[in-house]
Amino acid sequence: MAVFTHPIVRFIARRLLYSLVVLVGVLVVVFSLVHLVPGDPVRIALGTRYTPEAYDALRSASGLDRPIVEQFFGYMGSALTGNLGVSFRNGDPVALTLLERLPATASLGLVGIVIALLIALPAGIWSALRQGRISDVIVRITSQFGVSIPDFWLGILLIALFATTLGWLPTSGYRPLFDDPAGWLRHIVLPGLTVGLVAAAIMTRYVRSAVLEVASMGYVRTARSKGLTPRVVTFRHTVRNALVPVLTITGIQLATILGGVIVVEVVFAWPGLGRLVYNAVAARDYPVIQGAVLLIAALFLLINLIVDVLYAVVDPRIRLA
Amino acid sequence: MTRPAVLAAVVIAASLLVALTACSHGNRVDLGGDSSGNLVAAIAGEPDQLDPQKTSAYFSFEVLENVFDTLVEPDENLEMRPALAESWVVSPDQLEWTFRLRPGVTFHDGSPFTSDDVVYSYRRIIDQKLANADKLSAVTGVTAPEPSTVRITLKQPTPNLLTNLGGFKGLAIVERKNVESGQIATHPVGTGPFAFQSQTSGDSITLKANPGYWGGAPKVSGVTFRFISEPSTALSALQAGEIDWTDSIPTQRVAQLKDDDSITLAATPSNDYWYLALNEARAPWNDVRVRQAIAYAIDRDAIVQATSYGTAVANQVAIPKGNPWYTPYGAYRHDVERAKSLLREAGAAPKALDMLVTNEYPETVTAAQIIADNLAPLGITVNIRTVDFATWLDEQNNGHFDMLMMGWLGNIDPDDFYYAQHHTDGSSNAQKFSNPEVDRLLDAGRIETNRNARAGDYAKAATIIADQVSYIYLYNPSVIQAWTTRLSGYEARRDGAVRFRTASMASGGVA
Repeated sequence: MAVFTHPIVRFIARRLLYSLVVLVGVLVVVFSLVHLVPGDPVRIALGTRYTPEAYDALRSASGLDRPIVEQFFGYMGSALTGNLGVSFRNGDPVALTLLERLPATASLGLVGIVIALLIALPAGIWSALRQGRISDVIVRITSQFGVSIPDFWLGILLIALFATTLGWLPTSGYRPLFDDPAGWLRHIVLPGLTVGLVAAAIMTRYVRSAVLEVASMGYVRTARSKGLTPRVVTFRHTVRNALVPVLTITGIQLATILGGVIVVEVVFAWPGLGRLVYNAVAARDYPVIQGAVLLIAALFLLINLIVDVLYAVVDPRIRLA
Repeated sequence: MTRPAVLAAVVIAASLLVALTACSHGNRVDLGGDSSGNLVAAIAGEPDQLDPQKTSAYFSFEVLENVFDTLVEPDENLEMRPALAESWVVSPDQLEWTFRLRPGVTFHDGSPFTSDDVVYSYRRIIDQKLANADKLSAVTGVTAPEPSTVRITLKQPTPNLLTNLGGFKGLAIVERKNVESGQIATHPVGTGPFAFQSQTSGDSITLKANPGYWGGAPKVSGVTFRFISEPSTALSALQAGEIDWTDSIPTQRVAQLKDDDSITLAATPSNDYWYLALNEARAPWNDVRVRQAIAYAIDRDAIVQATSYGTAVANQVAIPKGNPWYTPYGAYRHDVERAKSLLREAGAAPKALDMLVTNEYPETVTAAQIIADNLAPLGITVNIRTVDFATWLDEQNNGHFDMLMMGWLGNIDPDDFYYAQHHTDGSSNAQKFSNPEVDRLLDAGRIETNRNARAGDYAKAATIIADQVSYIYLYNPSVIQAWTTRLSGYEARRDGAVRFRTASMASGGVA
């Protein structure tokens, strides 16, 4: 079976195996952390209606009165088979809740990163090629603004302009892509822009410096001196070689968005992972926190893997091993 | 990119924009087939669960108020009225209450409502020691002599039994099948005006009208509760016509919204209250003169202004003016000299005060900053400790604080206001206040059946509590809600219960 001996396949298989080890490690750390953090899920579930009798009853009903080691191995055992337990608060299976939230988060992440790339790539390249000129200064100042603007403020401004004043787009909410594609698009524009513009500002600066670095290389000067047209020098020799660091920052930005952009989710009432985690932490809903962190860690690992494979695609000098 | 490519990109982007906005006629968000035409209400957070007997979250009760019923329920003046019980008689010794149930009531799944359901519901709360069991602490027996009759026996006369049974939906009548199947937390079945239809995690809950509701069929086809925690977004959605009702409103914009003709704004004084409590297990706060010094040093009006932009009402006791249980009281005023002399009298010179607040309730953080400023002239440095609510509860429970600020919500009967917080054995007496006379009065109030005598007991207790500074009461906030002018038949209630059973929507699209 030649396919299994192909270096890329072997590389991916090995990385997936490592990922599993990392995930088990993440599980151990997150389980210990949530139990170490002060705050008692039973106490907070009862709120002001606390009585010692109700406390004991709820504590044993949630299984929190069992020894911590027993709780840990029970959880590990079921987590490895894909059963992430049930929420303390409503008894919903955690895996199901996460799957319900994932499409909203994935939509926002992908749309956000596409918008960011559409802006950052041309702006960064343009700015680098015109280093020191007025257009470079404009791009740099604009991206500095973009980095400094708080995302909640940008979100509220976009709502005020496009939803309240112009009435073009809805203020908030989410529609699943496959149930209602038009609704999905209309609802994702503003949060996608908010996430995308902030990411674009960061990425523009990376693209610019990556292109500048490559442009100072000897082979670019050689290419130019042997009479290639500026366009060929720019795209074939400069930009292509600048793509590797750009890929890295794109992966990091995407992973960050997928990990939950709580503020943007709050402003746009977006049912993503970020708000789920936030609410779960506030209620100390251990199974939900653990499951969500596990999912986010898995997404990080997956994106890392994809980025590493793409390195080899854009730069044949990079060998996967 | 080549020039034609740039041109093509611009054309595509422009046509996409046109396509997007072209279908935005009316802005009204169509939430899909099962909820179009519904009243859309935005609440500020997602319910933790939908079991009315187990949740303690206000967001849950906002939804469940419309799904479940209790035997009796408060009217707009918070007097108890018949609901699932049509009438009741009390035995001469006040120890036996017999409720006659409303005939012909069914649960949303079609099964008939009988006295067995009432017995099951109350037994569940008592036997499983649920948080609301203290409301039934005087109950010795619940029986169903006939399908239409429920008998409750008590160990002592309980004048506020009706309030305990119907004050809020925590004592809702639930269906055995729904509980035992484990469905109630996510798919509740009640007898109320609306039936649970669906929930989208993180997004919304949809209810549909129950045409067979005993109080008359609702006038709207259903209610969709959306979770919009950012108040400025909720307000934008209301102004854009995407939602019809919200209580997620930026307080600082209330004054401005009062002049907005396109929405109806309600700021109804509530029975909720916010207070400061000093830890009496720690010196020098165990000295009443030191506590009184703090009460004189704080500037209540400044706190009200900063936390509520003037929408709340300052108060030195728990119960607001206008409530039948109100007691006039005004011993304190902002007086730094008086505070200093009280400290001298007590021979105390506290240098620092550990103030416990939580960002879950931003008003506590805001107020703490003013209080820090107020106490500086006394030579007291207030160390403001801002923690999340789970930690806050732990710290309160363990007595790790000098002073804390918190609110108490949804109060109807004075027993709700005082017993848990000021009785020596009270379950929420974190400040460790203990006064034999207050204990005696609160015990007496629990069983006093003569209303005037009972009011007298609580008036005395309220005065001692304020004089002895068990709490430094600060203010009563308002219930702030806004809705579209197309919505009628709805009123903001003092107890914060959100009832859409009589609401109706004027037809005709949004502009």
